[in-house]
Amino acid sequence: MGSGGSVGKEAGPLKTLLRQHTQSALEQREFPIFTLTCFPPGFLVHVGGVVSTRSVKLLDRIHNPDEPETRDAWWEEIRQEIKSHAKALGCHAVVGYSESTSICEEVCILSASGTAAMLNPRFMREGCLDIGGSDHRLSRQPHPGMVGSERGEGEVSSTWLGFEDASPPSCGFVHIPYDEFNMPFPAQLTYCYHCRRQKVPDVLFTTIDLPAEAEVTGKGCLIQARLCRTKKKAQGEVNATSISNLLPFMEYELHTQLMNKLKLRSMNALFGLRIQISVGENMLLGLASATGVYLSALPAPGGIQIAGKTPSDLSYDQHISTIQKRIDDTIAKNKELYNIHPPECIEEVVGSPIPDRQRSSRLFRSTSESSDELSELDLSHGKKDAFVLEIDDTDAVEDIQSLLTDAPIPAGFYSCNTEVMPGIHNWTSGLQMFTSVRVYRLSNANLTNQGLNKIFTDLCENLLKSLYFKLRSMIPCCLCHLNFTVAVPEEELIQVAVTAVAMSFDKETQQAADRALTRGSGENEEQLQFSMELCGESTISNNQPTAKPSGVPESAMVHSSRAPSVDYGSFADRCSTWLELLRLKAHTIRRGSVKTSRRTQLLAHSVSSSERCSPLPEGRSRSLRSTRSLPCGAPVTVVKMTPLSFLPGTRIVKYLGIINMFFIRETTSLREEGGVSGFLHSFIAEVFAMVRAHVAALGGNALVSYSMKECVFMENPNKNQAQCLINVSGDAVIFIRESDQEAIPPLLTSRQTSGTGADGTT
Amino acid sequence: MSVELDVFVGNTTIMDEEVYQFWLDGYTVNDAVKVRMEGGVLEECEASAEVLRSDTMDQYRTFQMCERLLHSPAKLANQLLFQIPPHRQAMLIERYYTFDGVFVREVLGKKLSKGTKKDLDDVSAKTGVTLKSCRRQFDNFKRVFKVVEELKGPLVENIRQHFLLSDKLARDYAAIVFFANNRFETGKKKLHYLTFQDFAFCAGQLISNWTVGALDNMVEDMDVDLEKEFLQDLKELKILITDKDLLDQHKSLVCTALRGKTKAFNEMEANFKNLSRGLVNIAAKLTNTKDVRDFFIDLVEKFIEPCRSDKWTAGDMRLYLTHYTNSAHILDTFKHQVVWDRYMGVIKSCILKMCTLCRGQ
Repeated sequence: MGSGGSVGKEAGPLKTLLRQHTQSALEQREFPIFTLTCFPPGFLVHVGGVVSTRSVKLLDRIHNPDEPETRDAWWEEIRQEIKSHAKALGCHAVVGYSESTSICEEVCILSASGTAAMLNPRFMREGCLDIGGSDHRLSRQPHPGMVGSERGEGEVSSTWLGFEDASPPSCGFVHIPYDEFNMPFPAQLTYCYHCRRQKVPDVLFTTIDLPAEAEVTGKGCLIQARLCRTKKKAQGEVNATSISNLLPFMEYELHTQLMNKLKLRSMNALFGLRIQISVGENMLLGLASATGVYLSALPAPGGIQIAGKTPSDLSYDQHISTIQKRIDDTIAKNKELYNIHPPECIEEVVGSPIPDRQRSSRLFRSTSESSDELSELDLSHGKKDAFVLEIDDTDAVEDIQSLLTDAPIPAGFYSCNTEVMPGIHNWTSGLQMFTSVRVYRLSNANLTNQGLNKIFTDLCENLLKSLYFKLRSMIPCCLCHLNFTVAVPEEELIQVAVTAVAMSFDKETQQAADRALTRGSGENEEQLQFSMELCGESTISNNQPTAKPSGVPESAMVHSSRAPSVDYGSFADRCSTWLELLRLKAHTIRRGSVKTSRRTQLLAHSVSSSERCSPLPEGRSRSLRSTRSLPCGAPVTVVKMTPLSFLPGTRIVKYLGIINMFFIRETTSLREEGGVSGFLHSFIAEVFAMVRAHVAALGGNALVSYSMKECVFMENPNKNQAQCLINVSGDAVIFIRESDQEAIPPLLTSRQTSGTGADGTT
Repeated sequence: MSVELDVFVGNTTIMDEEVYQFWLDGYTVNDAVKVRMEGGVLEECEASAEVLRSDTMDQYRTFQMCERLLHSPAKLANQLLFQIPPHRQAMLIERYYTFDGVFVREVLGKKLSKGTKKDLDDVSAKTGVTLKSCRRQFDNFKRVFKVVEELKGPLVENIRQHFLLSDKLARDYAAIVFFANNRFETGKKKLHYLTFQDFAFCAGQLISNWTVGALDNMVEDMDVDLEKEFLQDLKELKILITDKDLLDQHKSLVCTALRGKTKAFNEMEANFKNLSRGLVNIAAKLTNTKDVRDFFIDLVEKFIEPCRSDKWTAGDMRLYLTHYTNSAHILDTFKHQVVWDRYMGVIKSCILKMCTLCRGQ
């Protein structure tokens, strides 16, 4: 894809300018790739779409398997390819990037995917990306005052401003980054439904979370595409080749399924797309999960139209029309369910902006070297109002059947695989993180692809149904961050593991919920985290005098809070002191109603300095000890766990570090422990318990960003044995309830701090 | 295709009270699923039988893992394996220790030994309570018995603290322990009409009045055994029936007080000596463990049955017993007033409890 970079050459002057500025910062990096999925407002200028690459490798071909060189070279290749895909989409960076592998015997599939994006150059200045100091923090705020402060910096910044003006933040990121007359793939473009100035695609797939500034109509939902393909058992090269040959078709099918299901729900964008392909001895499994939403800035999706190939038979026609009716009904029902009622605006059909020239570019593109690249985008479904499904063979009939047999989600439930569900904001504190694992044995060895598909789909559907049933007491609730992991641990076995969090929300006030407010609080959560880091820095730099009286050298103290051998008792003490002080200070600030940046910064300083005053006055520390709720011989601390980065209704006041643990459990008395289910059930319960204990030992009361990265289960029932390896990780934190909020500086104060503080510092 | 493995683990342990009850009642997973399906959870949540089965299996597994903790409930609050909110913990414990009235009636007063446990299948067949549930309940009795046996202090309070039970349930367990310890006979046909709650009431009376703990709070075993000294003292009451003068005096005092107040006066007068002998003899024999066991039988045979055949009402009995007790105080030569009150107070409330029920027969 060496010519990818040339795509941008004919782009508009604005984009060229932008590219030039950002290029320097990003291009210096070998891989302008971000694994983050969530960004500060304004960071994403445009999003191009999903880029992905897969590569099949033979592990026994590595000459020196103990050394990482070969593997590094493989990944480097893949990252280069991803980078060039992004370039082809007119983007200079990849966000929401992830890599994964699936290994079966000596064959290994390396997969990488991400979202091509154009990033805001303001964030890209020298060193910003690497250090992310206070400057970075400030630029997270799209505050007018701040922009003003930067205006003085010369021509360059005014260009950025000019660009900023050109695409309002709420829809800017959906505008196409590529040149509309030289598109890398065919797509139907329209003018943005929000600003009416820039072009947008009809559908957008991404791997990132829904940006906070995005405007969404209605609610979103989890969309999954599932696929199973049999393959012959083979060895080495032959095996690798047959897998390689299957992959593009699988990607294509998964994409088609996603597209169909998206249309069926009357939505036009996917976020958090994750396509997992697992290889087994005699089959390949593909599972794509994403959260579908209706982006207000994108055009409304057309319906799905069924077309028969041979409309000669009358009964056949009738059959088709019944299916068509069912589909139309489902779409209508889904519109109700997800509350998708976009404002009927005057249809400004731009017409197909794909001139003949485009065809040639397509041809050109097809000569590119890799065959399984960009299959998500390599589809021409444009130029048609409705999405036409042709029933030309039994496969297609199956597809449509499966499309329609996806069980509707029970009333009161929503689900998504992103951080939070678009359209739901008023979360209550009801929270239930869970992991569910299922292993199915395929008893019949001679299954067809369709048969396997059916089984796999049922497996996933039943699992979801079970989850809904189990969590019915939390209604109304949303399953967030639903993360499916599939594996083929053995021939004829399919393993599916799901980790997610169920969060209940308040239905009554849902309608009235103020979106902006909730968003604001989300930002401020990050804000607080940052200002705390700021504390540490500023204490060292300019708060020396205040800190001195504590009698402890600054650096040593800073160290001790991070060192692994911290005395957690005193650490906990310090935390609670810190909280206490924060509360006190906040009270004074409120009473005085002086919400200036200076005051708050002062607060930050004094808080941080007193946090370091570990030798507390005797009486004070005792009184604190009596009121705090940290583990101290008292009953077991409740530790909340969530795969999300936040806990609704709470404020994270301290990050205590990462928890990353591997557990291996083996049993030689499987039957006595209640069989495989009993074994795994108690193991997972114990893993949770150990994680909670670690968090509690650090003085924390929650684990955020929890993920179960690995769950490898093997059994040998004949020998009465089983083994399991689990890898979990997350961030230990201290949170406080927002209801205790009067104690904490109000949201706006801290926002203003950074905003107005910028005036003084820059 | 078959499900090889199916687990669901929540950070907060999910427990369905309905399923918990099925588990406690000893239903198999299949039976529980059947009952749940009939219960209409399915329509409510649009779930399939398969979903229900998976959920039930999961919960059963969880309960099984929790069971060992429930054996010493204090551990439930301090364990790390399951994160269960406190009110849920209380529910789990309370339900686990709740027993069936019909079942406990069968083993009440029996020795909580292996032999009794072996006969539980008969009890199960007789009461309709599943064997599994019978075993759990029996083991609960035994466990509580063993723990409090060694402890000082008030019985009910000990049970409540060690097993974190509600006051009501702790009292019931105190009764069970008390009955098991003293091996009161409750299985005779004549006592069949009495429910566990009747006996529990009587046990409460005996515990708070006749045991060592009734006087002194910090003696070992205090609430489980009847006070030896008191039982010895009861022998002195015999004077009420052996001394002819005293007996006559007592009778005339009671009769004077009762005259004209009840229709059954004639029967009372005629039966006075008989009844008095019965009650005092029960008191005098209580030093003998064998006779302690027959305490309730004796009450029925010696007092309640004669009264019943004379068609006394409950009011009659109350009246008679009140005057019978009080009149003894006026007897100048009777010197055992304290012991008499302590004895008659319990006897009166026990008889009244036992006869209010016999009325219905």
